[in-house]
Amino acid sequence: MSRIGLSRIFRVFAWIGLTSIGGGRYAFLHDALVVRRSWVRGDEFAQDLALCQLLPGPNFSNLAVALGARLGGWRGALWGGVAVVLPGALVLLALSGLYFRVGLTPGLAHAMRGTGAAVVGLVFVATATIASTALRGWRAVTIAAATFALVGPLHVNTALAIALVVPASLWLERPRRAPS
Amino acid sequence: MIADLARLGWTFLWLSVICVGGGLGAVPEMQRQVVDRWHWLTAREFVDGYALSQLTPGPNMLVAVFVGYRAHGLIGALLAGIAMFLPSGLLTAVVARQWGNLRRWPWADAAQRAFTPIGIGLMASGVYTLGRAGVHDGPSAWIAVLAGLALWTRRVPAIGVVLAGGVLGWLANL
Repeated sequence: MSRIGLSRIFRVFAWIGLTSIGGGRYAFLHDALVVRRSWVRGDEFAQDLALCQLLPGPNFSNLAVALGARLGGWRGALWGGVAVVLPGALVLLALSGLYFRVGLTPGLAHAMRGTGAAVVGLVFVATATIASTALRGWRAVTIAAATFALVGPLHVNTALAIALVVPASLWLERPRRAPS
Repeated sequence: MIADLARLGWTFLWLSVICVGGGLGAVPEMQRQVVDRWHWLTAREFVDGYALSQLTPGPNMLVAVFVGYRAHGLIGALLAGIAMFLPSGLLTAVVARQWGNLRRWPWADAAQRAFTPIGIGLMASGVYTLGRAGVHDGPSAWIAVLAGLALWTRRVPAIGVVLAGGVLGWLANL
């Protein structure tokens, strides 16, 4: 059932969990599993990525679970997911403790505000890059713009906004009878 | 205390469900719930926590751990983290093993096309929410613009951009 031994899966995924900093975290999984090791084919990776975008939950950890399942069945899924989440969770827990218990010196508070502002630039560029490649045609642009307007400036509850746009989007993208 | 812990777990379970198109898309709803509704932390702390989660390896939805820690210490951090990652991970494992068969159904392809723009719209809303809280004056706007330009050139890694923003913020007494 499993293609790759569990301990190798865990080691490779944990390394990604420790080093995947910044935007485009899928790229780390792609590089390690498809480019460097040929454990997963490119089309298999794209399938798993698409699946994780459909399912609820953080995409990066779900992608690690899906790829882990492909490589090592149920146990691969478990260890793949744990390995990418746990290292960062421990680091962030330590940082949270410092932030709330020790507090920030005035200098550090200024620096935190600087990083917060830089993150805004970062997420803006990452979002614009994804939008420019993945938004094709007026239907997709309309749905994306409507979703943004509702949740962003209009402050509509996210669940309500999703409930409004999902049926519209599904109808616009409904399967059409293809000549096959 | 127990009631608030239950609320914390339930809130992050809910936030994990609406993570369509990456964690950034869940940011507006997360801020609404954890800052405005339940007052577990301030808007300022929330932005700082999101910035810390960007400096931390792994998924940026680890910000759940930060919020949980603020609300109820270690137990809160554990509970929020588990609620965010475990149920959706289980669902993914189950569906991933069936995905080969499901993909042949025409609606699976339609759903994929339908969800992509919704995910992007939600990500853009996440940028809007973070921008409203994190960019409040001239210097912070400049740092955001410079960070965006630096990332856009693809010459600087994201972590370098975030750290440079910290240095600029410190120099500018932001």
